[in-house]
Amino acid sequence: MTTMVIQLLITGIAYGLIYSLVGIEYTLVWNSSGLLNFSHDRLITLGAYIFGGSMILSLNLNYPVAIIVTLAIMGCVGALLAMGVFNRLRSMRSNIFAIIGTVVLSKIIAEFIRLFWGSGNMRVPGWLSGTVRIGNFAITVANIVITVVAIVLVIVLQLFFKFTKSGKAIRCVQQNKKASALMGINVNRSICITTGISTIICAVVGLLVIPLVNISATMAITIGLKGFCAGVIGGFGYIPGAIVGGIFIGIIENLATLVIPAVYKDAVSFIFLIVFLVVKPTGFLGKRA
Amino acid sequence: MLKVKNIDTFYGNVQALNQVSIEVGEGEIVAVIGSNGAGKSTLMNSIAGLVPVKHGTIEFMGKDITKAKDYQISRSGLIQIPEGREIFPNMTVLENLEMGAYSHKLSRAQMKEKLETMYGLFPRLQERSGQKAGSLSGGEQQMLAIARGLMADPKLLMCDEPSLGLAPVIVDGMFDIFVRVNKEMKIPLLIVEQNAFMALNISQRCYVMENGSIIATGESSVLAKEDTIKKAYLGG
Repeated sequence: MTTMVIQLLITGIAYGLIYSLVGIEYTLVWNSSGLLNFSHDRLITLGAYIFGGSMILSLNLNYPVAIIVTLAIMGCVGALLAMGVFNRLRSMRSNIFAIIGTVVLSKIIAEFIRLFWGSGNMRVPGWLSGTVRIGNFAITVANIVITVVAIVLVIVLQLFFKFTKSGKAIRCVQQNKKASALMGINVNRSICITTGISTIICAVVGLLVIPLVNISATMAITIGLKGFCAGVIGGFGYIPGAIVGGIFIGIIENLATLVIPAVYKDAVSFIFLIVFLVVKPTGFLGKRA
Repeated sequence: MLKVKNIDTFYGNVQALNQVSIEVGEGEIVAVIGSNGAGKSTLMNSIAGLVPVKHGTIEFMGKDITKAKDYQISRSGLIQIPEGREIFPNMTVLENLEMGAYSHKLSRAQMKEKLETMYGLFPRLQERSGQKAGSLSGGEQQMLAIARGLMADPKLLMCDEPSLGLAPVIVDGMFDIFVRVNKEMKIPLLIVEQNAFMALNISQRCYVMENGSIIATGESSVLAKEDTIKKAYLGG
């Protein structure tokens, strides 16, 4: 029994960190541009297709090169999206336009993926496969890589925001766009950088979940929604909140399989989402009402 | 230094500025006074590039900046301390000050020297340097906003309603600082104020605004004695 619980905990933390990364990725865009990016799950899918579909299966690149090229492409995609779409949407009069805009953008990316790579599923043989045995526990390589990459990414992001000039500028833009402009910060460019970082995180999520869900047009829908739950449960618009919320959901939904059938696992985080919206809309760490 | 010629600014279809012209020369303190809604802040925001100007030109140190972007104007040394402070509430006082110098590449020693100068002017900020700026009192936040503006090495400093919502004692102290900044650092100031008494007191020249137009201008000491100005803005 305890082995089982610990095993589920380990899986839960890995899944939870995926949700945390999703939470961080759209929180960054929300904080800097005030837009809820409804196309973020498609960007995760896009990252997975670029990596699996093109870099590995078509071009046969080795993993490190494929990863770097994919992340670079996705960073540029993000910056272009910010320049062409987000910066325009955010200055429109009503945020209804912004919501419809990102929803439609999500459709456009989905159809682009179908046109370019077809509608079939893809597998990337050998990518993050295998298990490691530590004592009584079997841990998949995918779970170990997810945990390590997520933790490193979170630390790197924190250092970037705390100590670099562009990182500090991004924090300024999040807090006060007018004052940022008066400090000489190019607000639109800062939002481009933020969105670029956000889409790179999307791509990282896409790469990490390939061994869990395979590559398909709908691979990221549930993950995207649970990342949203992570944000709400942890405290919306607050990065540490997204991290805590993500890990919380990951652990709870995996432990829940001890008492309910595993097919209902996905419902758990949505039940928590509703409970939190009703009882504590500010989440675990949120301050604002 | 700063020459604003016949500018018109619109919010949608509503004209907020009508043929406004002002000038600020080297080393001057110039005040713009007027009641609420006269267009003073719009004038500031038009100069800083935050709202687009429809007609007219703005020239700063011989360069036309009418169509320049807000951040380019700030980088050229025309610094605005906005109405309502607009500090970064979730950053520490120190981080706020460092962001003031964003457009300059400073070595660690230069940054330290600048911070020392600011802490000399505003000892209170040194005590609070590690605190979140959002937790400061209104007066301290205004000090921080001024210090942050000065960190940018302004060639001209514009202050929008610096006395707004502050206790009279603090306002006095703040205007003393403005005079020192002007005399010791040789920075010309353009101050927009509802507190006409203070503004006329420290400035050499003054513009009076009403309904988006300049209705009077002249030496502050002369204007302060005119009956119409006294009645409308000085409460007597």
